[in-house]
Amino acid sequence: MTTTEVAERLRGDRRFQDVLGRLVEMSERDYYNPYRLFDWPDSLPDDAYWMTPELMAEHGTDVWDELPEPRRRALSKWQSINFYSLNVHGIRELLHEIVARIHTADFDVPSEYFHHIIGEENEHMWFFAAFCRRYGGKIYPPRSLRLAGPGIAGADHFLVFARLLVFEELVDVFNQRMAGDDRLHPTIRKVNEVHHQDESRHIAFGRQIVAMLHADLRERLGDGELAALEDYLKGYMRGSVASLCEPGAYRDAGIPEPYAVRRRVLASPAHAGYARRVLRRTESFMVNAGIFRTGLPESAKE
Amino acid sequence: MPASDPVAAPDGAEPVPDGLEFVLRHLRSRKPEYGDLDPDFDLIENRVLDSLGFVEFLYLLEEHTGQEISIDAVSREDFRTIRRIRERFFR
Repeated sequence: MTTTEVAERLRGDRRFQDVLGRLVEMSERDYYNPYRLFDWPDSLPDDAYWMTPELMAEHGTDVWDELPEPRRRALSKWQSINFYSLNVHGIRELLHEIVARIHTADFDVPSEYFHHIIGEENEHMWFFAAFCRRYGGKIYPPRSLRLAGPGIAGADHFLVFARLLVFEELVDVFNQRMAGDDRLHPTIRKVNEVHHQDESRHIAFGRQIVAMLHADLRERLGDGELAALEDYLKGYMRGSVASLCEPGAYRDAGIPEPYAVRRRVLASPAHAGYARRVLRRTESFMVNAGIFRTGLPESAKE
Repeated sequence: MPASDPVAAPDGAEPVPDGLEFVLRHLRSRKPEYGDLDPDFDLIENRVLDSLGFVEFLYLLEEHTGQEISIDAVSREDFRTIRRIRERFFR
C-alpha cells in the first residue's frame, strides 16, 4: 500500500474519524495520574493467589494436578510477574511502532489519538514494571526477536496493528477477569482494572484500523497472500498464548526441569482448551472482520 | 569436513556437544528440504529461524546450554549460522 492510499483510506472513512473523535474525548475525560493512583503495600502475601488460577496456563493439566497447593500459589506469583513482564515488552513494541507512525503522511488522521495512546501506554508500562520490580524484584527478559514474517509487500502496517491488537485483546481477557476476582489482593485487582479501562479504548481503535487496513489488502492481494497473512497471525496468536508458560517462572516457583514442564503443559489437551478460551474473542473478531476465512485449527483448540 | 568446521571438527578433537546436536536436529526439522545444514548456511535469510519459531528455539538453546538468554544481551547475528550459534553459546 502506498503512502497516499493509506492516508486516503483513513481520511475517506467518516465513521473512523467519528470513532477517533469519541476516543480522544474519552481519553481526555478519563485522564488520571497513575503515579498517585495506586496503593503499593511493601509486600503482597505469598500464601495467596496472585493470578486467577483458572487463567493460569497450567490449570487443569497433569502438571497442575501434581503441584501441592502452596506450590500452585507460588507459581501464580511468578506467572503473574511473567504476565506483567510480557506487558512491559509488548508495550515497548507498541510504543516503538506508534512513534514510528505518528505525524507521518500515512497516519495524519489518527495522529491526535496516537498522542493519547503513547501517553497512556507509557503509564501502563510504568505501573506494570513497578509491580514486577517491587514484588518480584525483576522483570523477566524479553524472549522474542523480530525476524522474517510472512514477507508480503505492502502488508507491514496491517501486520503491525494486527499484532498489537492480538496482544491487547489477549491481555484484556486476563485484566477483565482478574479485576473482579476477589481472591486476589486489592492492588492486583486495581492494576488489572485500570489497565482494562484504558485498553477498552485502544482495542476499539485497534479493531477499526485493523479491519480497514485488511479491507484495503483484500482489494490488492491474491488469495494465496491473504491466506499467508492469516496463517501467520494464527501462529502469532498461538505463540502469544505459549509465552504465558515461562520456564523462568517455573524455576522461581521451585519447580524442577522447567523446560520439560513447559513442554508438558503445552502438549496437554487441557492447555488446548485453555488456548481456545483465552483466544476466543480475538478469533471471533478476526473471522467477523473477514481477516480469517476459518477459525483457529482444531489442533490449536483441543 | 574441512578443518575449520566448528560443528564437527576432525579427529574427534572437537566433537559436537550433545546440546548442539539437539539444537541442530530442531533446526533441520524446521526445514527438512535444506538437508543437513552447512555450518555457514544463513538460517535467518532462509527462514529456518523466523519470528514465530524463534522463542521455541531460544528455550531449546537455554535448556541445552544451561544459561538463560536475554534478548537484550544478544543480536540476530548470534543466530545467523550454525557456526555462530556454536561460537556464541557452546564455548
